[in-house]
Amino acid sequence: MASRIYLGELEELILLMVALHNREAYGVSITEELKKHADRDLSISAVHAVLHRLEEKGFVKSKMGGASDERGGRRKRLFTITAYGRNALEELRDTRNTIWSLISKVSPA
Amino acid sequence: MNKTPQPPRWIDNLIDLFAPFDLAEEIRGDLYELYRIDINRKSIPAARLAYIANAFGFLFRRFFWKRNSLSLNTPAMLRNYFTIAYRSLLSYKSNTVINVLGLTIGIASALTIFTFIRHELSYDTFHSDIEHIYRVVRVSGKDRSEARTGVSYPVPRALKDEIASFQKITSMEYFGEILVEVPDTSGTVIAQFKENSGLAMVEPSFFEVLDFKDKPIRWLQGNPARALVDPFSVVLTESLAKKYFGEGNIVGKTLRFEKEADCKVTGVVSDFPANTDFPFTMLISYSTLRQIKARMQDDWSTVEDNHQTYIRLPENITKEEAEAQIAKVHAAHTPEDLHRNRLYILQSLSDVHFESRFGNYNSRSVSKTMLLAMALVAIFLLLTCCINYINLATAQSAMRAKEVGLRKVMGSSRRSLIWQFLTETCVVVLIAGFISLALSELLLFKLQSLLNLPLQRHLNDPFILATLGIVMLAVILFSGLYPSFSISKMNPVNSLKSKFTTETLGGFSFRKVLVVVQFTITQIIAVSAFIVVSQMHFFRNQDMGFDQEAIITFPIPHHDDSVARHQLEDRFRAQAFVSNVSFSYTLPAGVHRRQNARSIWLSGKSAPNVIFEYQAADSSYIHLFGIQLLAGRNINNYDRETEVLITRNLAKRLHFSTPEEAIGQPASMSGKDVTIVGVVEDFYNNSLKEDLGSIVITNNTKAFTSVSVKLQSVQQYEALQQAMGALQAIWKETYPTHFFEYRFFDDNVNAYYEQEQKYAQLFQIFSIIFLLIGCLGLYGLIAFVVNRKSKEVAIRKVLGATISNILVMFSKEYIQLIVISFVLAVPVAYYILDSWLSNFKNRIPMAWWMFVLPGILVLCIAVMVIILKSMRTVQANPVDKLKYE
Repeated sequence: MASRIYLGELEELILLMVALHNREAYGVSITEELKKHADRDLSISAVHAVLHRLEEKGFVKSKMGGASDERGGRRKRLFTITAYGRNALEELRDTRNTIWSLISKVSPA
Repeated sequence: MNKTPQPPRWIDNLIDLFAPFDLAEEIRGDLYELYRIDINRKSIPAARLAYIANAFGFLFRRFFWKRNSLSLNTPAMLRNYFTIAYRSLLSYKSNTVINVLGLTIGIASALTIFTFIRHELSYDTFHSDIEHIYRVVRVSGKDRSEARTGVSYPVPRALKDEIASFQKITSMEYFGEILVEVPDTSGTVIAQFKENSGLAMVEPSFFEVLDFKDKPIRWLQGNPARALVDPFSVVLTESLAKKYFGEGNIVGKTLRFEKEADCKVTGVVSDFPANTDFPFTMLISYSTLRQIKARMQDDWSTVEDNHQTYIRLPENITKEEAEAQIAKVHAAHTPEDLHRNRLYILQSLSDVHFESRFGNYNSRSVSKTMLLAMALVAIFLLLTCCINYINLATAQSAMRAKEVGLRKVMGSSRRSLIWQFLTETCVVVLIAGFISLALSELLLFKLQSLLNLPLQRHLNDPFILATLGIVMLAVILFSGLYPSFSISKMNPVNSLKSKFTTETLGGFSFRKVLVVVQFTITQIIAVSAFIVVSQMHFFRNQDMGFDQEAIITFPIPHHDDSVARHQLEDRFRAQAFVSNVSFSYTLPAGVHRRQNARSIWLSGKSAPNVIFEYQAADSSYIHLFGIQLLAGRNINNYDRETEVLITRNLAKRLHFSTPEEAIGQPASMSGKDVTIVGVVEDFYNNSLKEDLGSIVITNNTKAFTSVSVKLQSVQQYEALQQAMGALQAIWKETYPTHFFEYRFFDDNVNAYYEQEQKYAQLFQIFSIIFLLIGCLGLYGLIAFVVNRKSKEVAIRKVLGATISNILVMFSKEYIQLIVISFVLAVPVAYYILDSWLSNFKNRIPMAWWMFVLPGILVLCIAVMVIILKSMRTVQANPVDKLKYE
């Protein structure tokens, strides 16, 4: 593989969440979803930190929008997954699938 | 709209301050949303807590602090902040001056105090493994309340011989004054020096126990291993060697002490550091002491307080185990009475400088409580000057409301306003910091003797610079944050509207709280100063049981032949201005006097053995010092230690119900048979801080070391000079080769309170500083209030208010605040001072007026400041103020 994609476990999880709620994902929603689906209780600042990192790496992009009363009239930063991000997720999944298939061949459970 | 409880505002402010606008909005939005969820799921307090925790989480994330190029804190913007700060500080000149002045005084005093505290805490911290070094001290009395330093001469040797683990043990004896002569090779004296301190007799093991590891004492000449072994060897410090002999090798030269003992110089060491309680300049071998005090080497009951022993305990032995072993050895050598009454305990070397009940060779100890109090004073000083700054800045905000409003309208963000005001604080604090660095250097120089500091420069002292940095940072944060947040909070619409103020004085209640805090501290210090000074006055004027006025004392040569002594007495008595002359071993009281403890018991009775102070004197002693004879007769001049006078207190302790009963009773005094011939009234043989002493006065001409001369009536200065001249002439004729040196007895007694006297002075200085800062702040506050209310004043005057009406209006609220702070200050001051006074056996009772008087003084000064400042506005012509609208 020419260009190695590096994605941490948490980064991958959050990138998946962004993909799940594409265009509507933001700090709080991701935190809540993580708690619900992955049983991960992360602090909001940790989630923000990961999102920033993902944006720096070019996996997601963001824009401000969607002010609402629950937020005291403040806008949120909405995240969208980029094609590169999507690619990365798929590549990771493919790699895993390949390895899993090898595992089941070599040592059947 | 249903009102949801709002999350803490200050957290939002914090985020706004540091994050760029978009990021702040995003973060606060998310935080708020979570907060709403939390309120529904949990309780409100839990939600608030989570809000704070989450927000702080952001402060620790790196991305939070990462900025793209478009930041408001670019160099250009920073330069702009400084320009604006410079301009606004210039346009509010008086305000700036007050702020800089207040902060300078506060910071400079704090720096001075911190330097002082550091110096006191550094005493004897440079020895290795200091936690294993102990001094043997003794406590006696039924409740072990009588604490003294010093051990009997045979004790250290017995400890070393009988306790296997006590190998590193060293004894020393310190001598106050000493006459030193430098003889040439033929024995003729070529130079004479009187030293007031510094002579100690030490064992060779001195440097093993006290190794001065981090401030090493170097051997410049001589052999360290042999120098202190032989009797009559002396080791000098470098500076003293220079003083006596100049440069060059001096080992082998001779010094003569007190005209009796010739000692050979066996070494030269570098000077001892200033921060040690072993202020030695001359070290004479301890074996010398064994020879000159040979008689006392086996006396387990007599103790010289300056004969002290230090032990370096091995690591596997605790203090308690060691004390138990010492008690066992002591009990094995002494009669039951003695070892039941007297207990040797160990005092850690790190307490020697701080535990005032024992004292040390510097005769100056500083309690840790005192240092804590000083540190608190420094912190309070900083606090009050910060409060001043906050008060003035928030008061000023009213004047700057238009500026802030316009800035906001023109698109300034709140964050940049906050930075701008913080920059102003920074500039003021920086100016104050630099001035105070210079000022504290000056203060340290001026207060050197008051604070017992060695002279040192501190502009290049890293500790001072670091302290200054920390202090300035704390002051900037503490006094800058609140005003900049509160000023930048203003609503531009309101602040741009021209408003006619009728708001009450003071405005924000927060400011009132600050004024109260400030004046509470000021009043506590003022009351403390007043009571400390009163206690000092009491010490100086309380009757100690003997006369102190017009008594001059001289040391006389040891082992004097009585011929010269009688000659001196006769010739002194022949002078018209002399009313009485007495020879004695010691004096009734006073610092640096010889103090000799012995024990007495009644012959043939099972009554206990009582420790007393031995004072040898001739028959004039009790007349000269005005000690009253209660029963029996005086001792006579021909007696040789067979007849004794005892004090009333000692008679009571010997179980005599009346003084008369004691007359004629035989007793045994440290093994010598004596008869009690008289009982005298009690007197204080130590300071008034301690209880009455138990004293025996007996005639022993061999022991006499001083002569006291009572002068006729109180002398004029010139007559006194003449009298001293005459006494000196007689002295020179009688003792041609001895130094003529005199002391006033009352000075000697008052020297007991030297340390307290210094505290009294310090507290006076502190209360003036606090009052100064407080009044500066008040002056600034009232200036703003008066300025803003000039129209109101004009209208009131037009409508018929008198000047006094208006002055009352201005001062009423501040008087209320100061009275509230007085009420708060009284219990605190009472508690602190009561615990301070309880250190003394003789103390003044605390009366209500001791609190009210300084309180009223503070109030009067504050009101005066208010009236002075408001007078101009009040007297102004109303027309001038009402002309423009």
